[in-house]
Amino acid sequence: MTPEIGHILLIVFLVLSFAGGFLPLTSVYLKNQTFEIPIKKLAFSLFLLIFLSFLSLVYSFLIDDFSVAYVSQNSNTNLPFYYKFAATWGAHEGSLLLWILAMNAWLISFMFLTKCSDKNFTNAVFSISCQVMFSFCLFTLLTSNPFERILPIPPLNGADLNPSLQDIAFTIHPPLLYFGYSGLMIPFAIAVAAMLFNVDTKEWAAYSRPWTLLSCSFLTLGIALGSWWAYYELGWGGWWFWDPVENAAFVPWLLSVALFHSLIASQSRSVFGKWSILLSIFAFATSLLGTFLVRSGILTSVHAFALDPERGVFILGILGFFVIGSLLIYSLKDFKKDEVKPYQLSSKEFGFLLNNLLLVILAVSILFGTIFPLIYEAATNGKQISVGAPYFEIILFPFALALGLLQGIALYLSWGVTSSFNFLQRLTLESVSLFGIILLVLFILFDNLYLSSFATIFLACWIVAGTLQVSKKRNLNYWNFLKKRLAVTFAHVGMAILVLGVGVVTSYSIEKELILTPGDEFEFGDQKITFQSIEDTLGPNYFSKSANIIFEDEKDISSVVTEKRTYTPSGQLTTEAGIVTEPFQDLYISMGDNLEADIWSFKVQIKPFIRWIWLGALLIAFGSMLAGFNRIQRS
Amino acid sequence: MNPIRKQRLYALIAVLIGSLVATWLVVSALSENMNLFYSPTEIKDAKVDEVTLIRAGGMVKEDSIIKDTRTLNVTFTVTDYQNDLEINYEGILPDLFAENAGVVVRGNLKKDGTFKAIEVLAKHDENYMPPEVAKLINEDL
Repeated sequence: MTPEIGHILLIVFLVLSFAGGFLPLTSVYLKNQTFEIPIKKLAFSLFLLIFLSFLSLVYSFLIDDFSVAYVSQNSNTNLPFYYKFAATWGAHEGSLLLWILAMNAWLISFMFLTKCSDKNFTNAVFSISCQVMFSFCLFTLLTSNPFERILPIPPLNGADLNPSLQDIAFTIHPPLLYFGYSGLMIPFAIAVAAMLFNVDTKEWAAYSRPWTLLSCSFLTLGIALGSWWAYYELGWGGWWFWDPVENAAFVPWLLSVALFHSLIASQSRSVFGKWSILLSIFAFATSLLGTFLVRSGILTSVHAFALDPERGVFILGILGFFVIGSLLIYSLKDFKKDEVKPYQLSSKEFGFLLNNLLLVILAVSILFGTIFPLIYEAATNGKQISVGAPYFEIILFPFALALGLLQGIALYLSWGVTSSFNFLQRLTLESVSLFGIILLVLFILFDNLYLSSFATIFLACWIVAGTLQVSKKRNLNYWNFLKKRLAVTFAHVGMAILVLGVGVVTSYSIEKELILTPGDEFEFGDQKITFQSIEDTLGPNYFSKSANIIFEDEKDISSVVTEKRTYTPSGQLTTEAGIVTEPFQDLYISMGDNLEADIWSFKVQIKPFIRWIWLGALLIAFGSMLAGFNRIQRS
Repeated sequence: MNPIRKQRLYALIAVLIGSLVATWLVVSALSENMNLFYSPTEIKDAKVDEVTLIRAGGMVKEDSIIKDTRTLNVTFTVTDYQNDLEINYEGILPDLFAENAGVVVRGNLKKDGTFKAIEVLAKHDENYMPPEVAKLINEDL
């Protein structure tokens, strides 16, 4: 019965969200009270419906109800219960439910935390959000129903959750990412509502800013966690692959970063009003486009969702409706002229303009590289190509460099005109000294300096120096000064740490593939590595060969296990890497093939500063979350 | 010039420079990093030199995987059920590499008609079929 209840709740959700999608707007436009509905109550009912519907799917997973097709495809009686729980969003159908749930959570938070001066404005945001949720719900029910039954004879056991998803990072990575994606619905709805009611730029930017910041924070966390998961779970030590599915998250991230920076200028100086509206639309659109690219299967990706062209067409329809609809409103609307104070080339406004320009062009170039194989295939009648990772690296580097240089001076700029650029001297001095210290540390740690890493390391120092501005306020007020800009300090220093991590790990990593039998020893970097023994182990739903490895240097000895697992329900092989984490480097070993009796191949890597990448991302997420909450309190 | 006009001019110049640089970067990066895909049949008449990176793929033939136990050299054959292609690779194969499974490799075509792979692409789902390979098989049916 439970799946049917979930299904019915979803249908009721569909009907109510449809009503919510147009009734409040109708009552505003007809100025007719009869259509007015209590939107807060409706929002709560919608939330309750989708939440219970989601719970009923969770319940089907927990009790191993394999008559539900989705459960039978993604679970198994031997799966530990916490993975059964997480398997709910292990594939397409369930993650859609989670997505709608997340959208609804954002909507409720917006309605209760952001007090808009005009009731009609809140009504419009509610209506537009309901339209988005309605279309997602319709999509779920028509093409991806998670409650579909296999009747009359249900399978005795399920096919199991994809083994590489049976992992702690996986249980939280998708929800965070979906919260990030779906959060962009709020700035979109606000932007459309702002056009409909001709709201002042300052006013709507203030409403939109916290929600953009929070979505961006969730996106950051989701992407960072995905990268960390790929690093240790896929077994080969890479942390970013420029896979379409990664780009699909990276592009909306870039646009959301651009958007909240542009909104700062919009709120403070009434500038970039129309630009911020367009950016809100496109940030939301790229989050939908990412879904389309990944779920329709038209791009080759490591993420293999059950692919279905029909779904692709449907998502494209949703995307087209909202983008064309909102752009139509944009082009037909007479925008009220905001009063704008002029700004000079040296102003903070122009700084934000450059920041947005660089971020948007970067996003467009990455998006172009991601979908270029499709364009090429269409233009050449089916010839297939792929765009390699170097393409994205060539594009990213100059833009990241320019953005970083700008980021270093950004916090010194003033609105209108920056009177003096004397700070450049101190900034250069500070960043050069920091650069020297870091090079010294790197030399002590690794006995080596690589020219190739100098640019990124210097960039990181430049950003840190420009953010902390130690010499600017050399008195007791310095802490007050920092406290006032705590959020931006966290986020920008986080970016510097990330840049430093990327720079060092790219230049200093070493790796080697080799063949060993138990008892073998070899030298690698400053480590002596011993393949001690190999044994058979048994897990709840897998059996494995585990190799015991010892890493030894002058200071410490650490032992790790790397495994080759065979998951019994599916017979799928996975590699579990053995990782020793030290403050400045990771020692990483993964098991390859069994070549003969006890002869195995291994891949061993030393990855300096790799953790700093995720530490930086965490700080960015923390900073933008802090800024988001501060903004909510102030409004 | 009035300040608002001047401000627009600055913005316009910035946008122009940014787009020009980006376009140039995109075009040059793309022309160097675009890897064409060839099926074993197409590769027979392909005019590809030994240094151009291309991709090839198909189904891994049964009993065609030969692993050297001293080095990490491995040889296998992929097929599109019309023609075969011999592939050489040095390194550890991904977990999902198996006989009768679809595979895509990246590397160079050698003069003797064999393929030297520098990368064997893996997907993390055993039911997954690279679209290029899926297309080859569907065309045959």
